[in-house]
Amino acid sequence: MPPVSSDDLMRYLDGEMAPEERAKVDAELAASTELRRELAIFRALKSDFQQLSFHPAQYRESVWDRVNQRVTRPIGWILLAMGATAWTSYGAYVLATAPTNPWEKLATGAIAIGILTLLASVIWERYREWQNDPYRDVHR
Amino acid sequence: MQPDLERQLIRKCKAGDARFYEPLVRAYEPAGLRLAVAMMGNNEDAEDALQEAFIKTFDTLHRFDLQKPFGPWFFQILRNQCRDLLRSRKAKFKVEALDEKLDHRPADRERGPERSHERSAAREMLWQGLERIGTEHREILVLKELEGFRYTEIAQILEIPEGTVASRLYHARHALRDALVEMNPEFPQ
Repeated sequence: MPPVSSDDLMRYLDGEMAPEERAKVDAELAASTELRRELAIFRALKSDFQQLSFHPAQYRESVWDRVNQRVTRPIGWILLAMGATAWTSYGAYVLATAPTNPWEKLATGAIAIGILTLLASVIWERYREWQNDPYRDVHR
Repeated sequence: MQPDLERQLIRKCKAGDARFYEPLVRAYEPAGLRLAVAMMGNNEDAEDALQEAFIKTFDTLHRFDLQKPFGPWFFQILRNQCRDLLRSRKAKFKVEALDEKLDHRPADRERGPERSHERSAAREMLWQGLERIGTEHREILVLKELEGFRYTEIAQILEIPEGTVASRLYHARHALRDALVEMNPEFPQ
């Protein structure tokens, strides 16, 4: 029978072996002090790990609120953008087809375009600032 | 969580309903945090990694195969998130606030302060041993010893062939033993 390899020893230790394979390793263990010693060291390490178990949920808040905010926010933005686009398009159509003085149309259109341009520039500026913010990953 | 219930929740989430994600987050949070703390070494970085992992998992749910278990898939994302975070912040695994992090077992208290102190010292030494070994060794030990995953699951999480799990574990355990011997020459060699 070939000697027990290090991989076999790990599979034996972790209960990942079929019963017939285990029986072969048991036989080798009975015959080899060195193998028993090595297994005992790994078993001791495994046992030490059992003492490391801890329950972090007992003294901290769930991350769900933060996760929820992040996963639902894009849906809000998409709905807002869709609504804004629909209303802007409808407003532009109503303005263009309304039987009013062309100067009134031009003035109203200029105000609307001005507001949209300012809004876009503010959003762009904030985005650039956010990209260069060294603290953007800091949540607390 | 029951696999059928888990599948139903994931199906709802895939349809875009984030409300059904909450039970999944709450079910996987404790184990996820244990893995993240063990990989990052402190609660704050671990929570950041966990939060990002849950968000990435939700964003990629459309790619998830409902025939497969959710756990290993989530832990694979979490493990990659921890590694990315360690790389991007040039952070180092650092054990902090050991006393807070460790669960003081009732059995230790019953056996008196001396026994409790001994146990605490042993746990602290083990954490420091984990700090000394590389990320690759640490992550496989945590998956096996703290989370109790089977070899097939570890292979899936670490994206390695199943046949190499035993060998990786052997080297990791050896590295940890060497680190412990270095810190305490009385540790069995």
